[in-house]
Amino acid sequence: MISDKVLDATGLACPMPIVKTKKSIDELSSGQVLEVHATDKGAQNDLTAWAKKTGHEILDSKEEEGIYKFWIRKA
Amino acid sequence: MSNKLAIIASNGGLFDAYKVFNIATAAAATDTEVAIFFTFEGLNLIHKEAYGQLSMPVGKERLEQGFKAANVPSIPELVSMAQEMGVKIIACQMTMDVMNLKKEDFIDGIEVGGAVTFLDFAQDANVTLTF
Repeated sequence: MISDKVLDATGLACPMPIVKTKKSIDELSSGQVLEVHATDKGAQNDLTAWAKKTGHEILDSKEEEGIYKFWIRKA
Repeated sequence: MSNKLAIIASNGGLFDAYKVFNIATAAAATDTEVAIFFTFEGLNLIHKEAYGQLSMPVGKERLEQGFKAANVPSIPELVSMAQEMGVKIIACQMTMDVMNLKKEDFIDGIEVGGAVTFLDFAQDANVTLTF
C-alpha cells in the first residue's frame, strides 16, 4: 500500500508509538496516508482505539516478522 | 461529550510518575484536553531536582533493568512531551506552602493553584483519575 510518510516506532514502549503517531499525522494533510511500524505488542489495540477516538481511518494492518504495520488515512 | 481528562497525582515514586504521565501523554495524543493537579508527595513528579531521580518502591529495584530493556522513556522526557502537547500542570499551593517550596523549585511552564483551580477544570471532565 502506498503511504505519504513512514513512521518508524519500532523498539519504543507505550505510550511512545501513540505520541509519535499523533505528531506524524499532524504533519500530514487530510486524506494522506501514514504508515506506522511498531514492535510494542500493545500498539495493535492502542492504535485501533486511537483511530476510533480521533476519527482517522486504519486502512490496513499486518504483522511481518514481529513488526506491526499500520496504514492510517488522516481524517 | 466533553473531551477532558482530569488527574490528581498525590504520590511521589517512580511508578506513580509513570502511571500519571503515560496516561496523560496518551490522552493528549488522542485529542483530549488534560490537566493534572499535583499535591502532597505528587509534587515530586514536577520538582526540578526530584523528578529526574524518583525512587522505585523498596524491593523493586531490580526492575530498573526491565525499564531499560523495554526502552521506556525517562520521566523528564515524558513530562516535556506532555507539556509540548498542552497538558496543563497545576501545583498545589497549600502543599507548597506546607513544604516551603517556591514556584521556581519546579519545572517551567506550570501553574500554581488551589483545589478550586483544579475543580473548575474537573467539573466538566468526562474522565477523572487519581494516582
